[in-house]
Amino acid sequence: MTLFLNQLINGLQIGSIYALIALGYTMVYGIVKLINFAHGDIIMVGAYAALLAMTGLGVPFYIAIVISMIVCVVVGVVIERVAYKPLRSSPRISSLITAIGVSLFLQNLAQTIFSATPKPFDVKISVAPIVIGDVSINFTTLITIVVSLLLMALLQFIVKSTRTGKAMRAVSEDMGAAQLMGINVNNTISATFAIGCALAAIGAVLYCMAYPQVKPTMGSLPGLKAFIAAVLGGIGIIPGAMLGGLIMGVAESMTKGYISSQLADAVVYGILIFVLLVKPAGLLGKKTSEKV
Amino acid sequence: MNKKTRACILNLIAIVAVYIIVSMMISSGAISRGDRSTLMDIGIAIIMAVSLNLTTGFLGQLALGHAGFMAIGAYTAALITKNLTSVNLAISFPLGLIAGGLMAAVFGIIIGVPALRLKGDYLAIITLGFGEIIRVILNNLPFTGGAMGLNGIKRVTDFNYVYIIVVLVVACLFTLGRSRHGRAILSIRENEVAAESTGIPTTYYKVFAFTLAAFFAGIAGGLYAHKMGNMSPAIFDFNKSIDYLVMVVLGGMGSITGSIISAAVLTLLPELLRFLADWRMLIYSLLLVLMMLFRPKGLLGTAEFSLVAIWDWCAEKMKNAIKRYRAKHPKKSKHVTMPEVPKYDYASFHLPVLETNKLGIRFGGLQAAQDVNIHLMDNEIVGLIGPNGAGKTTVFNMLTGVYRPTEGDITLLGKSIVGKVTHDITANGIARTFQNIRLFKSMTVLENIKVAFQTRMHYSVADGVLRTPKYAQEERGIDLRARELLSVFDMEDVADVRADSLPYGQQRKLEICRALASNPKVLLLDEPAAGMNPIETQELMETIKIIRERFSVAVLLIEHDMKLVMGICERIYVLSYGRIIAEGTPAEISRNPEVISAYLGTAVESEGGEAHAEG
Repeated sequence: MTLFLNQLINGLQIGSIYALIALGYTMVYGIVKLINFAHGDIIMVGAYAALLAMTGLGVPFYIAIVISMIVCVVVGVVIERVAYKPLRSSPRISSLITAIGVSLFLQNLAQTIFSATPKPFDVKISVAPIVIGDVSINFTTLITIVVSLLLMALLQFIVKSTRTGKAMRAVSEDMGAAQLMGINVNNTISATFAIGCALAAIGAVLYCMAYPQVKPTMGSLPGLKAFIAAVLGGIGIIPGAMLGGLIMGVAESMTKGYISSQLADAVVYGILIFVLLVKPAGLLGKKTSEKV
Repeated sequence: MNKKTRACILNLIAIVAVYIIVSMMISSGAISRGDRSTLMDIGIAIIMAVSLNLTTGFLGQLALGHAGFMAIGAYTAALITKNLTSVNLAISFPLGLIAGGLMAAVFGIIIGVPALRLKGDYLAIITLGFGEIIRVILNNLPFTGGAMGLNGIKRVTDFNYVYIIVVLVVACLFTLGRSRHGRAILSIRENEVAAESTGIPTTYYKVFAFTLAAFFAGIAGGLYAHKMGNMSPAIFDFNKSIDYLVMVVLGGMGSITGSIISAAVLTLLPELLRFLADWRMLIYSLLLVLMMLFRPKGLLGTAEFSLVAIWDWCAEKMKNAIKRYRAKHPKKSKHVTMPEVPKYDYASFHLPVLETNKLGIRFGGLQAAQDVNIHLMDNEIVGLIGPNGAGKTTVFNMLTGVYRPTEGDITLLGKSIVGKVTHDITANGIARTFQNIRLFKSMTVLENIKVAFQTRMHYSVADGVLRTPKYAQEERGIDLRARELLSVFDMEDVADVRADSLPYGQQRKLEICRALASNPKVLLLDEPAAGMNPIETQELMETIKIIRERFSVAVLLIEHDMKLVMGICERIYVLSYGRIIAEGTPAEISRNPEVISAYLGTAVESEGGEAHAEG
């Protein structure tokens, strides 16, 4: 039981990080129908930005997060404007390849600047773990879960109730019609990328608190997992990304705890395949059939 | 000498010449050991890229797990040569390659059958998932060497093996692409719904193309294993699949030669950029992005690089005179017989060709159609009219098997067709057009028609690849038939034009033409006059009458243009809220008070043309 609870909490921690990153994938997909493969590398950008802010500028941890967010937002929006926007009317596979190119570019740029050697990410949070019975919950774990939940609620509020959110939903339904209704499509898409990247920056910092290492390729794996989480929940659907992330995290952590850490990935992919075969549009996705 | 023979000879000469030159350079030492290895890498990349192009470019299904099939082939082949030590490598290696390909193909079927039900990005992700699972499993099997990998594989792959297999694979894809099977695969990319309703068994062809691609990837894997001598599952990860996808997209989706060129360039590029040292990958990724920004459709798009085209271009002026002479004196075409679907002489039995009995369908709580009883006699033109949302297209969808009716029965030529799949129903004699035109847009007009001849063609994949006499005869036959069909519609002069470049009216005509090519007994036309001006509508009326006479089909017609409906239909059914509310001759229908209140409105006689009424 203790093992179970410990693994569950670990799973929720990593799962909420996946969920935060998955939100970026799902929002971008929802609005421009692009699998933004470079999103995982935004995590890496965020991690380096936070690390440099703390070690280079010597700012405190919470300011480093803000700096990291700003850097990620700028990078994300620039990528969108330079690399994705010109391809909006091209075949979707072209933008996909461009996204892969951007992902490679970011990784190699980081490698050129910072070298491939991993750098330690030290954040000392000296709050004693909370102990309930046999289970002890790290403060970091608690922070991660709480922050993620708050951010998801905030995002849901933004999308449902603000002007920008409404514009986003309109653009994702029909870009042309939204434009004709006077919505500035370009700004709306940029805003979507900006929000996704800001969330990725926070996800990056939380990820580094769980795995305190920064290196150029660090974004690939959580990026891929988060993307799968987004698909699992139903890509384009915000609550789906959260659900998918949490399921992925818990499944992974449980497999590591009970079966074998080597098979964790296989189980995760297995769940994905099973869900897609049963519900082809993801857990919360609606089945869309082509009208004849 | 005709174009095909010339192409054959030219390509053969080129293939042999390249082989001889490279072989000589290898034996004379002009190509170093390292370069030879790069050459083999290029060959393997070409096999991977062209085979992935079959799935992604031709079939139009994004697959992100191609390296998984390569891994299966690599491990199968390597385990065979490692364990068959008593057998000469000259035998066990080819055996291993084929076994690797077959094993990959088996997995292609196992993965393809469930996965290909998904579309677009979901298919991409599920193939990604399968690819990764293959890797994880290879990592954990007892006989694969786990994460440490497999060592001591005999390094028997040489330039000869790679070159021969590349030539075979490429030739196979080229010939396949120009057979009826290739057209079927392309038509699925262009418009899956239309493909199914012109008689293409889409599921079969999707799995077939996916499996064939897996087979080739398996062979490439076997070559790779025996080139490297050792390997671990980590090599065949998601990034490897992405590498090949990049080659396909960069070369141009649907262009085999494009894939070949980009596979060669992208394999060479890291070697060529070696002098840049640390900047190498950075420049590479930047080039990739720039390439996509400036040529989003890839190097060649869907076009093929062709020696013949170059040859023709050079010889054009010399041959102009001859061509003009040939145009004036065309060769008499040989008469070729086509297998015919037997004509049913139903008229003499006075039985309807198509009949529905209490047909109905329910979507959840919505009863979209109920108690629909309609029948069509042989050679009859019948209208199906009613307000928008009455369920007219739903009836069509039930008749063609797109929807499965929840109640009632449909009888075609005396046999029930409820529960049959669309392509089967098409082959049995119902063809249709669509409310919003569904053509195979990037195929030519002639190819659009040829796709629909599928139901009447029989040569196998092997016939298509090996170009047997059976292939030649049937292809020649349908070429004639398709052109003949086009000439009935005065469209023979646009035979080689892309379908989407036709004007609207001709696109509608082409769709009807395509439907007729499947040799139907019943033709369903879904708002054929929609968007047409009065003159075009008038022409359409004539066309429909001609069709009925020339092709002896019964026509069921959904239309809102009352002039057209009243002008050509012998009988009319009126549908409202999913029920037939009236049936009769045009005169009876236009006087029927119920129809007038439900649909026609008053003043039918004076301005029936745009009679729309709210249901």
